[in-house]
Amino acid sequence: MPQPVQYRGMALIVPDNDSEWKEFYAHARAHRLVVRKCKACGLMRYPPTHACPWCMELGWTWHEVSGRGTIYSYEMVMHAIQPGFKEITPYAVVLVELDEQRGQPTPDEALRVIANLVKADFTPEAEANVQIGRRVRVAFQDLADHMALPQFTLTDEPPAGRVWRLPE
Amino acid sequence: MLVQSRGLRDKYCIVGVGETEYSRASGRTTRAMAVEAIRKAILDAGLKAADVDGMLDYQGGDSTLANSVASDLGIRFNFYMDVMGGGSSTEALVGLAMGAIEAGMCNTVAIYRSMNGYSEFRIGGTGARAAQPVRGLDLAQVPYGMRSAGQNFAPTFMRHMYEYGTTSEQVAHVRVAHSKHASQNPKALMKQRVTVQDVVNSRWVVKPLHLLDCCLETDNATCIIVTSAERARNLRQRPVHIMGVAGRVSKPRLDFHWAHGPISRVAGYYAKDIIFPQAGLGPEDVHITGSYDAFTFTTMLQLEEYGFCKKGEGGAYVSSGIIELGGKRPNNTSGSHLCEGYTHGMSMVIENVRQLRGTVDDYCPRAAEGVHTYDYSPGHCRQVKNAEITMNLGWAMPATGSALIMRH
Repeated sequence: MPQPVQYRGMALIVPDNDSEWKEFYAHARAHRLVVRKCKACGLMRYPPTHACPWCMELGWTWHEVSGRGTIYSYEMVMHAIQPGFKEITPYAVVLVELDEQRGQPTPDEALRVIANLVKADFTPEAEANVQIGRRVRVAFQDLADHMALPQFTLTDEPPAGRVWRLPE
Repeated sequence: MLVQSRGLRDKYCIVGVGETEYSRASGRTTRAMAVEAIRKAILDAGLKAADVDGMLDYQGGDSTLANSVASDLGIRFNFYMDVMGGGSSTEALVGLAMGAIEAGMCNTVAIYRSMNGYSEFRIGGTGARAAQPVRGLDLAQVPYGMRSAGQNFAPTFMRHMYEYGTTSEQVAHVRVAHSKHASQNPKALMKQRVTVQDVVNSRWVVKPLHLLDCCLETDNATCIIVTSAERARNLRQRPVHIMGVAGRVSKPRLDFHWAHGPISRVAGYYAKDIIFPQAGLGPEDVHITGSYDAFTFTTMLQLEEYGFCKKGEGGAYVSSGIIELGGKRPNNTSGSHLCEGYTHGMSMVIENVRQLRGTVDDYCPRAAEGVHTYDYSPGHCRQVKNAEITMNLGWAMPATGSALIMRH
């Protein structure tokens, strides 16, 4: 079993038999953001799971997505509870809606991913720039030989829809 | 999928309630506290240990199991089960207790929750819980500094603000109301009344949550006892009848509820269609609500989703005065998790049982006899006049909830 990856005081554990995450992180380490795509109905899902939530098919393949998307919601952590995050507080956690499969198979559904909104050096993005509607793209934060964390950075594309952040 | 009512309305009752002191330093085990709370509930009901033959409890690896506490009290089981869970478990277990009795497995069930939620296993996820290794589904969130309940729920609240224009000031009224109620509650840990300004000027924890938008962390044990209406007739207290129950109803994609929107929708969207037809009534018939207040926002989101106001108008509803004592439909009249103490939901059911009996334990000198002043100025009464129907809205997370409707 690979050694736990130490990151901000946490031990991240991805054992050899982790049939959900092991290959996901191998792809992430190669800087590919992948989701599982159903072999029967073709719909994609995240996080990695073992049956299609729409048709119950067991067969799937990894599918690389563009890593581009829009901030759907967010929070600003002002008081960290994990000791390793105190030095980077405040930091933004964003819920990103990926461009692929938006509003499918029902208008309420999408491929959404949780990550931090970061600058190019993976330090937290400034709060004033954290807004619903802003466009983002994935950036991979390498943690170990077998693991990288997908994060998101802002792009200069025009926003998708109404831009909003919590009033001061 | 439609759930068909099984015609059990009014056939089961809550006949006993009990709790320990709410504190931040119990100085004893969850076993000791559970024993005290269960014993109080048994005596409250006018039962003996031998009359209780069923037990259910809920916990998250932080408490003592039923086999120990029952043995302490001299209880022999015909049925018992320990359940994993926190918020929304109370109402669900009331339904399971009814089911166990209906199935002929046992006669009378004690349901308890015992937790050193401040001094031992902090509910907020700090301390030992923050240091736990991260694996499996947690990898999708925890490495990003998203571990506590507040951190887990905040994007839901933020999206609600974006979609409906809900403001911090509006939801602050939930804290204002519950602090007013706590000022009438000798048991409450925080009896000081607060203002909207106090809430929005308190420090940020995780935006959009201020410190006073968040509940307490508390040591305590709580217990309620469920039996058939037939048995309840001969017991010590005025029986409180169960009209309907919905347990752990979830949104789609419970593994990662962010995948199914709108994320400003919570589980009550589905639960309301189970519970109201069972009870044969609607939100307008309910006199008191007990909407789970892990945060000010959770109370607001559930009241809205169950139809106490239109979707999106929860902010206006909770800031209108309706939810305060003296208002049309008070919510959480004990001060509950924001002000009384955190119990994972049980205390909100206990409070509504006492309201329906007419014997809320406020500062009225003859409260235990059901004599109240209905003076809602600080340090006096919190009994609601002529309360006949209550509804509890239990919350585990945005995507899971339970509900319970009771009458006297």
